[in-house]
Amino acid sequence: MADSDNDSGGAHNGGKGSEMSPREQDRFLPIANVSRIMKKALPANAKISKDAKETVQECVSEFISFITGEASDKCQREKRKTINGDDLLWAMTTLGFEDYVEPLKGYLQRFREMEGEKTVAARDKDAPPLTNATNSAYESANYAAAAAVPGGIMMHQGHVYGSAGFHQVAGGAIKGGPAYPGPGSNAGRPR
Amino acid sequence: MVMAEEEESGVSIQLEFPKGRVKKIMALDKDVKRVSSEALFLVSRSTELFLQFLAEKSAQVAIEKKRKTVNLEHIREAVKRHQPTRDFLLDELPPPSQPTKPDRPTQPAGRPKLDPPPRGTRRIDLFFRKPELDDPAQAQPPENPAQAQPPENPDQDQAQSPVPVDES
Repeated sequence: MADSDNDSGGAHNGGKGSEMSPREQDRFLPIANVSRIMKKALPANAKISKDAKETVQECVSEFISFITGEASDKCQREKRKTINGDDLLWAMTTLGFEDYVEPLKGYLQRFREMEGEKTVAARDKDAPPLTNATNSAYESANYAAAAAVPGGIMMHQGHVYGSAGFHQVAGGAIKGGPAYPGPGSNAGRPR
Repeated sequence: MVMAEEEESGVSIQLEFPKGRVKKIMALDKDVKRVSSEALFLVSRSTELFLQFLAEKSAQVAIEKKRKTVNLEHIREAVKRHQPTRDFLLDELPPPSQPTKPDRPTQPAGRPKLDPPPRGTRRIDLFFRKPELDDPAQAQPPENPAQAQPPENPDQDQAQSPVPVDES
């Protein structure tokens, strides 16, 4: 299949895909996901203008590059090649986002539990890794399971990988998570 | 092809953003070579937290300005109020638009000035001015009292004068 813009399939993103080239779109997260999370954080009757959504789309990409750059610098100083979780937690503390570290440790705990469950089910590694990132059991399980469900596959520039929206059935019951904690930089300001 | 974006309720382990896209954004930095799965997970989750934070602060700004729609200026103001976010993000935001409200000209106050008093008129408060009183101190200095003379001590033992005896 030739390069096609599969990310523009959503109803919210109907006209967006045709305006951006595939290369340009890779620099940002999908605007449908960005809008959905924004709406969850806003009051029920609030609305978001289109230019606000697009600006926030750029802001979160800047955030990823900002945190990643700091973690990458630390790895180079320590002569390591792989960025790991501790590097990112350290980077967030250094850059002033220490409020995020405690919630992220909680998520990481659950992530490791999930990874332990998936290791057993992921003996077959069908799909080759996309980039030179470490190919963990979690990703292999995602690839293998995604191949069985046509709706969960995205064709993008010749590679096959599962989307974040795809649900995998774990062996054990997953306990419900807490509501998203917001960073408390303005402790005195009520919502 | 439509992405499957449905999410099971209560499964907070599920990421909101596609991992491949997050990985591509991380890889824009040429120095980023390899990223572990934990690191990728943490970046995705922290981006969600950051997005929630930015949305909540922008909503607060919109409420303060009595607006129902969050727009670009509210996001800019929210970024300004948080020092770590301002450090890396304020330069990336688009420049603020020109204000569209016209300035209303303020009318000058037409207060009439007081006329100077007519010539020859004295101030009315002279009548009520307190007159200066002369109160000389006439207290005389007290004189030194003359010292009382001590009374002389009379002789209590009177000497008897001898009586001449006549012998004729």
